Amino acid sequence: MASRKRARRGLGGLLVIVLVAIFAFTYTIVSGDRPLLGLDLQGGVSLVLCPASPSNPQECKKPGDPAISEDTLNQAIKIIRSRVDALGVAEPDISRQGSNVLVQIPGVKDKQRALDLVGQTAALQFRPVLAEYPAPVAVDTTSSTDSTTPDTAPGDTSTTDASGNGATPPSTSGSTDTSQQGMRATTKWVEGESAAAFETAQAPATTDSTGGLTASLPSDATATTSAPQATATPQTATSSAPPLTPADQITPEATVVLPQVDPKTKQTIAIYQLGPVVVEGSSLESASAGLDQSGKWEIRPVFKSGVDGIDKFNTAAGQCNPASATCPTGRLAVVLDNQVLTAPSIKVASFARDQITISGNYTEGDAKDIATALRYGALPVVLFPQQTESVSATLGRDALHAGLVAGLVGFILVGLYMIAFYRFLGVLAMVKLLIEGSILWGLLCYLSSSVGLALTLAGITGIIVSIGVSLDSNVVYYEHLKEDVRSGRTVRAAIDKSFASAWSTIVAADGASVIGAALLYFLTVGAVRGFALYLGLSTVLDLITSYFYMRPVVRWATNSKRCAEHPGQFGLPVPMLEPKNAVANHVTVSTGGES
Amino acid sequence: MSSLGRLYRGENDINFKKWWRRGLILSAILIVISVLSLFTRGLNLGIDFEGGISWEVKAPGVSVTEARSALDGVGSGGAKIQQVGTDILRVQEPASSLEKQAQVAETLATLAGVEVGDVSVSTVGPSWGKEITKSAERALVFFLAVILLYLSIRLEWKMAVAAVLAMIHDVVISVGVYSVFQLEVTPPTVIAFLTILGYSIYDTIVVFDKVKENQARPGLTSRMTFTDLSSLSMNQVLLRSVNTSVVAVIPVISMLVVGAGILGAVTLEEFSIALLVGMISGAYSSIFVAAPIVVWLKEREPKNKALAARLGSGGVGYTTGRSAAARAAVSSGGSVAGDNASDSSDGQSLAPAAGVIPPRPRKKGKTR
Repeated sequence: MASRKRARRGLGGLLVIVLVAIFAFTYTIVSGDRPLLGLDLQGGVSLVLCPASPSNPQECKKPGDPAISEDTLNQAIKIIRSRVDALGVAEPDISRQGSNVLVQIPGVKDKQRALDLVGQTAALQFRPVLAEYPAPVAVDTTSSTDSTTPDTAPGDTSTTDASGNGATPPSTSGSTDTSQQGMRATTKWVEGESAAAFETAQAPATTDSTGGLTASLPSDATATTSAPQATATPQTATSSAPPLTPADQITPEATVVLPQVDPKTKQTIAIYQLGPVVVEGSSLESASAGLDQSGKWEIRPVFKSGVDGIDKFNTAAGQCNPASATCPTGRLAVVLDNQVLTAPSIKVASFARDQITISGNYTEGDAKDIATALRYGALPVVLFPQQTESVSATLGRDALHAGLVAGLVGFILVGLYMIAFYRFLGVLAMVKLLIEGSILWGLLCYLSSSVGLALTLAGITGIIVSIGVSLDSNVVYYEHLKEDVRSGRTVRAAIDKSFASAWSTIVAADGASVIGAALLYFLTVGAVRGFALYLGLSTVLDLITSYFYMRPVVRWATNSKRCAEHPGQFGLPVPMLEPKNAVANHVTVSTGGES
Repeated sequence: MSSLGRLYRGENDINFKKWWRRGLILSAILIVISVLSLFTRGLNLGIDFEGGISWEVKAPGVSVTEARSALDGVGSGGAKIQQVGTDILRVQEPASSLEKQAQVAETLATLAGVEVGDVSVSTVGPSWGKEITKSAERALVFFLAVILLYLSIRLEWKMAVAAVLAMIHDVVISVGVYSVFQLEVTPPTVIAFLTILGYSIYDTIVVFDKVKENQARPGLTSRMTFTDLSSLSMNQVLLRSVNTSVVAVIPVISMLVVGAGILGAVTLEEFSIALLVGMISGAYSSIFVAAPIVVWLKEREPKNKALAARLGSGGVGYTTGRSAAARAAVSSGGSVAGDNASDSSDGQSLAPAAGVIPPRPRKKGKTR
């Protein structure tokens, strides 16, 4: 009775792991997910990007142009890699080809999608806002309804102004959180691009409603006064916008007029007159999007330290707060690809490099997009997509086919070896491999569709190696078991004890693999990272199945009458004690167990 | 057969002391050859690391396979060949002599039925950029440091040092094979080298854990020198090592033979060799490199020196190795699984000779 109960211990975990494996298997079959094969196995889209000058982004520069040094291209490659490979596992192939950049992305059938992934190609800049104008009146009629919705995209309200009534109340959600933000210790740089920014010209008090003002540090309190801004705003809502600056006249030094475009509808939301570039994207270290304390999305840029980083930004901030002739509106626009992403007000004269937040009426998508644009900075050159084509695999299907056949043959041979050596326990070990295999396959398919994980030949290598590592856990356990039985223990007595010892060995050894995988994953890029992910996943899976599958199933198997009578069928030796004794002992024990 | 049978029955009683010396000599020779070759011949780095030449030609209806067999004629069968769009062939290869480049262009022109001038040629930079190498190097340094720390905590620092040395040994020899035979190093090969690092450490930990476990067995440490104890542990763990290596190597050999040999996927060969060499070396070095290094480090400890002197005069020689271990196990109340001797949840363990030597109370914490 007791032994039956003992044999059942852990069966819950066993059941769960088997169900998970079956679920993973059927889910993958049903959903029809396939792992995304890497460029080497399946091909993808090939883009040839050529450096162009900002003034004429449709025409490639000639090779040898001093503006396109090797360094510039390498830097561009680095940035493109981080864009395409945000999670570091898609393994694109990015290289220089002559003076061009060749980008190959695995498995992407849609060429436009590939272009989107490579992303915007112009420089990221910060320019002071001289004036904001509503978008041309011709805009859509839906804009007025938009403006009444509290969480419209920033700036949408300005279109309403265009239709003539400058009195539309700005969205009030900004003002409600003013007080809350005032409590926070972080300095803020507030989104102020909604129509409310104009309203300030007519009624200074409305600045408060613009977008959550803020500066929180008491010493900065004076700096937040809205008066200078209001008086300095030179334009009125009635004045019409000047024409947009043509692309070839946009230079860092010039005063330009640029649009803000809704990324989804592609409609112009507002038009800005902007001063010369004050800070460039290269001054940024990183950026993230997150929720503030009142549950609204905000963007948190982090500048590099030093003269080329936060110092530059603070110089610009100093011009805008208090507003001066170079920055009359007190707002600084973030410009990417000659379009204004956002134009927040500067509410404090000086910022700590990692304590800056940009708040406003951002939706989650807006905040994340802007953070991404800030984080990946801008390319040091304008790149023009010269050729976009789908490409075949570099190694081809034959390599994949060969790899799969070889893997299958290997699996069968390994199975034969394990069964020849450990008999029934060998069968159990192979079942463990199948369980791990189906869970891993499910994970692969899932990660392929969610984060663009690509299965390359190197990844297949990792999986094949993990066969050895996974079975090793069984070998370690079984050998321990045999050793214990040989030195005079009954199988039943040995089973838990040797698992404890074997488990400690397995954890120690797998622990080292997990550490290695984690370090490689977090510290590297490209193919190495993909490999690390496989190694880590398969090792963790091994730990899980060793504990939840191998332990209970071996205990169950060895608790049987059959095991006591024919230990050889389980690959176990007959105990080393005097044969008669040992057998007698076994029989008593097992009958006790079966009764 | 008989020695294999003994191994299967767990009766192998090999005096590893003798083999350790031979193993170290062999390893030293292999390392010297590898390092010399690395310095003189270097590595044959593929286009992904070095960059090279790219040819593009409009060749409707020409398949990659056809192109490969045609290029094989001028010795460029290993080039990267891709179909771009529907009708363009792109061939990439490491930079070579101008005649060779001209030959490739000519072959492609003939294949496509166009003039040589219609084949566009350009240089390509490495796709495995410097920043990938740099980040991998940085990660490796961290990896070494963290693994040393981890093993020092989990085992002890002497074993940590030995394990890392064995790992370096394996990688140097694997890379050495690529240098000596001038096999092309591709990104998958680099991944294979990284795999070897992990595999080697893994294997060494399993072996050392056995030594550690035996050290915790009260009946053994007082009767055996550390050398003999280690030799015993190697005997105990030998079958595990053999089995694990066989199980790990079979799929790799299958890749070499079935994949590369029969199905003709050359690229599989490129890194299967690295894996094969690394795995065999990893299993070998755990027993024949890491173990003797630990033994050498440990025998210098005063405690072990004294023990060796005492046992030396007492006449307990090595010959009793495995049987002595069995006796010790039995006499100490059957606490075979030394590490967990206190686990008495199912205390029906056979204790045939209980009381002969009372089990030594288990030390708290780390036993040395």
